[in-house]
Amino acid sequence: MRVISLCLSVSRKGVDPFEVEVKRILDAIGKYLPEWELPEDFSLDAETLNWLSSVVELQAGWIKHMSSSLYVDPFLIELKLKALDAESLSGIFTRCWRPIVELEQLVPRRVKEAVDYWNLLPPLEGRWPEFEARGPSGPGSATEEELRRQGMILDGSFEEALEEEWRKLVKMAGDGRVSFWDFVYADSYEETVRRAYLASFLVTYGYAGLETDPLEGEYYLKPFREKRKAALGGQAVSVPISVDRDVWVRRKG
Amino acid sequence: MSEKSGAYAGKVKRAVQMLLFQRHRRPGVKGWELKRSLGRDFMKVVDLLNTRLDDLGLRVSVVYEGREPGGRPSEEELERAVFYVVLRGASSVESLSGWRVDEVAGLAAAVAFIASRQGKAARRDVEGLLRVKFPGWRVDLALDRFVRRGYLDEGEGGMLYVGWRGRAEIDQKMLLDLLLGEALK
Repeated sequence: MRVISLCLSVSRKGVDPFEVEVKRILDAIGKYLPEWELPEDFSLDAETLNWLSSVVELQAGWIKHMSSSLYVDPFLIELKLKALDAESLSGIFTRCWRPIVELEQLVPRRVKEAVDYWNLLPPLEGRWPEFEARGPSGPGSATEEELRRQGMILDGSFEEALEEEWRKLVKMAGDGRVSFWDFVYADSYEETVRRAYLASFLVTYGYAGLETDPLEGEYYLKPFREKRKAALGGQAVSVPISVDRDVWVRRKG
Repeated sequence: MSEKSGAYAGKVKRAVQMLLFQRHRRPGVKGWELKRSLGRDFMKVVDLLNTRLDDLGLRVSVVYEGREPGGRPSEEELERAVFYVVLRGASSVESLSGWRVDEVAGLAAAVAFIASRQGKAARRDVEGLLRVKFPGWRVDLALDRFVRRGYLDEGEGGMLYVGWRGRAEIDQKMLLDLLLGEALK
């Protein structure tokens, strides 16, 4: 698993692929192969070999790039970019920038096509069927109790609901973490959606962290003991999690 | 005017119309489109057009697919390449209509950073570099704008690449050489 995770970081973060000692890992795989009995072990070896082949491909690309005319030391370039001011940098850029020249023109044939189209186009009211008003014509009304029953408004304030969810999360996860689905799952789908909605705010407002396991495709919530302000100040990353009714039904079943 | 040179003059006119007037969503014409319209010797027409454009400070730029410029391209590479008309010489800072100087600097930094890393870099790394000089909100907006205009391309896993317009308009080797020259001063 450690080798796979190393290969993953090389392929996704652009780390030097020669950080992975392919030969040594292959030797190790060959050495332990006769000892494996469980299919899971063979499967893990196969996955490792798959990732190693990607690393070898990256190594080939790396060598090709280093031998190309575009190769320069990336760290030297980064240092220079950090040291130069905006005006010097834009001055350098304009020396190697050759903007594309492009023109837009309406030709007579296109104008004729447009006129023909306009003349043939029936009026809007002829193309759109009339919508008959059904039911009450004016806006309806609902009491606060009805809205609460429908889940349109929460009991108490939003902050209170959020803090209540936070307390539940702390109780459930303790100092560790808990699976996102284990936390938000409730007896009804509507309640599950409500809890997922609040869980998203727990993360956004710094009450909890969201950890992902890309291999398993699993999400985990890790509660913080104190609300962290940095959660909104740092680089925000949106993580879409689908609260699918089918997933909820499968868990229920 | 001989019949042959007259035919070429007609082809040059057709080529300039194809190259200058936007025909698709993106500017530029594929090599195979030029070949279909101008014939097998379309590169001769492009060369002739280049001599005419020279007087106007313009030239035809050829961007090959997955290949560095230079050397003799094969016929297949020429057909897959995209042809644009670009400024021949360096543009001036005054000509940056619609661009703020710091935006141009941001674009230069992003392209140079990506080009020095085998043509791809994680968006968060590029953001990290730009945040050294610019506020975070402006970095996000600028990167989105570069992607929208085709200077950068955003792929899976949050990786940034030099986009189609970046490859057509920016001499990446010259940019790196100039920066390196500055670095060695």
